[in-house]
Amino acid sequence: MVADDAVLFREGVARILADVGFEVTGQAGDGAVLLAQVRRDPPDVAVLDLRMPPSFSAEGIETAAAIRAEHPRVGLMLLSQHVEAHHALRLMTEFDGGVGYLLKDRVSELEGFAAQIRDVARGRTVIDAELVSRLVSRRRERDRLGDLTDRERSVLALMAQGCSNLALAGRLHVSVKTIETHVRSIFTKLDLVVDEGEHRRVLAVLRYLRA
Amino acid sequence: MSEPGPGLRAGAVAVGVAVAGLVGAGAALGLHVGNVHNGLIAVSFTAAGLVVLRSRPGNREGRLLTATGAAHAVMYAGRQYALHPAAPSGAAPPPGADWAGWIGVWPLPLVMVLAGYTLMCFPTGRLPSPGWRPVAVLMTALGAAMALVSALWPVEYARTGLPVGPPLQLPGAAGVTAVFDVVRPVGYLLLQGIWVACVIARLARSPREEARPLRGLVITAGAGALVMVAGVAIWGSPRAGLLAVPLTAVAATVGVLRLRRATPYEALSRLAGGPASPANLLDGVCAAVADGVGGRGVVLWVATGPAPAGTGGTGPAGTNGTALTAVSGWPAGRALAAGPRTPDEIAVGRWSVTPVVHDGQVLGVIALEVAPGEELSPAERRLLGELSAQAGLVLRLQTSAHRLVTAQDEARRRIERDLHDGVQQRLVTVAADLGRLARAATAAGQEPLRQQADAVRGDLLAATAELRELARGLHPAVLTQDGLEAALGQVADRSAVPVRLTVAVPGRLPAAVEATAYFLVSEALANAVKHAGAQLVRVDARVAPGGLAVSVADDGAGGAQVLPGGGLEGLADRLAALGARLELSSGPDGTRIGTVIPCG
Repeated sequence: MVADDAVLFREGVARILADVGFEVTGQAGDGAVLLAQVRRDPPDVAVLDLRMPPSFSAEGIETAAAIRAEHPRVGLMLLSQHVEAHHALRLMTEFDGGVGYLLKDRVSELEGFAAQIRDVARGRTVIDAELVSRLVSRRRERDRLGDLTDRERSVLALMAQGCSNLALAGRLHVSVKTIETHVRSIFTKLDLVVDEGEHRRVLAVLRYLRA
Repeated sequence: MSEPGPGLRAGAVAVGVAVAGLVGAGAALGLHVGNVHNGLIAVSFTAAGLVVLRSRPGNREGRLLTATGAAHAVMYAGRQYALHPAAPSGAAPPPGADWAGWIGVWPLPLVMVLAGYTLMCFPTGRLPSPGWRPVAVLMTALGAAMALVSALWPVEYARTGLPVGPPLQLPGAAGVTAVFDVVRPVGYLLLQGIWVACVIARLARSPREEARPLRGLVITAGAGALVMVAGVAIWGSPRAGLLAVPLTAVAATVGVLRLRRATPYEALSRLAGGPASPANLLDGVCAAVADGVGGRGVVLWVATGPAPAGTGGTGPAGTNGTALTAVSGWPAGRALAAGPRTPDEIAVGRWSVTPVVHDGQVLGVIALEVAPGEELSPAERRLLGELSAQAGLVLRLQTSAHRLVTAQDEARRRIERDLHDGVQQRLVTVAADLGRLARAATAAGQEPLRQQADAVRGDLLAATAELRELARGLHPAVLTQDGLEAALGQVADRSAVPVRLTVAVPGRLPAAVEATAYFLVSEALANAVKHAGAQLVRVDARVAPGGLAVSVADDGAGGAQVLPGGGLEGLADRLAALGARLELSSGPDGTRIGTVIPCG
């Protein structure tokens, strides 16, 4: 299901989703209509714009929260013209996985977008790479990121985007064991508590990067 | 409020006539070099006192000066009568001459106390602090004791050259005189020394507006003292110094009149010549009111809306039902009341209000606190009216500047919104279509076409990113949608210098206030990175009593200044339009830019 008040873009997204093998079961122009459609026929994933009528603020997050409350198994993929850390943190805090937050630009990378939709449907967490790279490259007073090796920094960035250890191993062409070593080292150097859940891991890393 | 009350005016006229009569009659009896100074002091101090009484009826200094003058008039007349020869020579003195001469002699120490006390109270009519009260009491006791001795025994007669003896003949005159000759120089030195010490102590601690008249007095009195010392040294007589005393009265008059009171022209021209920013102008109006009409405090209140129902009351004409917020005050830096008040709540105690009207619309009030007994003269009330008209003009200009800023923000917000809803949506849609094209090309086995499509898509997304940044620079959506804390967090995230951000802003503030705070932080951060080479920037935004307090402090090289056409100037203009001012301090320890933006 797709919800966006911009008709052209919404239809573009629907076409793409159809192209890459999804079935688009409904389209909506705002959160209320989407919610009604979800109630009638809960989809695997709802793709929705963050800034929608009537308030044009964080309407998308409110709608997502309402869907999650009624249908906890519906994955939620929020799209926006710009990605902001405070929205990401809110999504991480209020939702326990099965949620994504991407720039609308990402839709045009069809295969990648499709994979991220599937991740969300599986209960994983997806955070836009631009936001993460902005936070990782952010200047800090006492920058403990400086203690990380280059490899650890790229692992950290992918971790913040929601990659699991398995996905990390695939992306970096190393074994899962090596990834686990990197992750442990990162958490020790940043003084973070290792948490088993992927989503909590994303939240911890985002919180660290934002602090 | 009125001019000097009828009682005070009648008393002043009576004293003036009496002094004129005494001195005039005394002078008609001949010229006696040893007594001239008393006549001159009588005339100069009485005139000085009456001038001060007329223009500053609430200032006790006028009464003290007049009393000093009148006391000298009595002494002068008494001595003149006793000195007046009834017949060419050898004849008996005129009837009662011994008593008249007595009147002209013994009060001297007390009159010196009065004159000293007058100078100690200069220029406010009050002692500098309660700590001086025991000193004044001691001084009075000393003077009274000396006067009592002088009244009973002829201890001063040898110096006055009176041709008549004392009216009282008590035993022991020789012994008392011998003792008094020892006590006199010490006593007189003390009586003079005390007021000199007091004036110098006051000068050392006085605020600037008081220091100037005090300096004038000190210089005049010091010159008189020099003349007196020189006279004693050269001719063995203090006469020359005594003749210089009337100058002190002139200095005192000028001093009191200049204290907190410029002429209307001076007040207005000082206002016009001050630094020209709307916020400063309002301070200037308050200072000009204080300068021109006196008063202990001045506060300018701006109408911010209708008063809550039932609190209208009986405010001054046209101000009923207006909620007012304090925006400026005198003395500079005085704490301004937070929150709106009604005119009735302002005009309490010694506070009075004058409406600020422009084009028939009440824009605010000027509140004036006067000292007890202080009243405004018609000229002062006229000046207050003119100044309130000036304030009206400033407020009107400020209102339109505020509207311009708001309109500008609104326009930027609209453009950002149009970009977001229009061209940005189209561009990402086209990018998505290009993505589909690339996929179709792959499916059709046309690898070069796919590469081309992906390259175009990449360029398009780069353009989209640029447009996104442009829109953010115009007016960040996050500010409108999520408020100042989120927007400042975003600025800090993107800063090239580490930022220590503290935000204590519960809830939302007026859009213009939020936008201005945001632009201030953005500009200051950009400067810290570009010009100061800072290592750390502290950004602090909190809701304070006066409004939203924002400060950005870096540890860079300093050297920031407001240049014509520069970013800081634009910022200062924007702040001024909101009734705030740009605080800038920049030195080798870094630069701090701050402001408090009223949110009312």
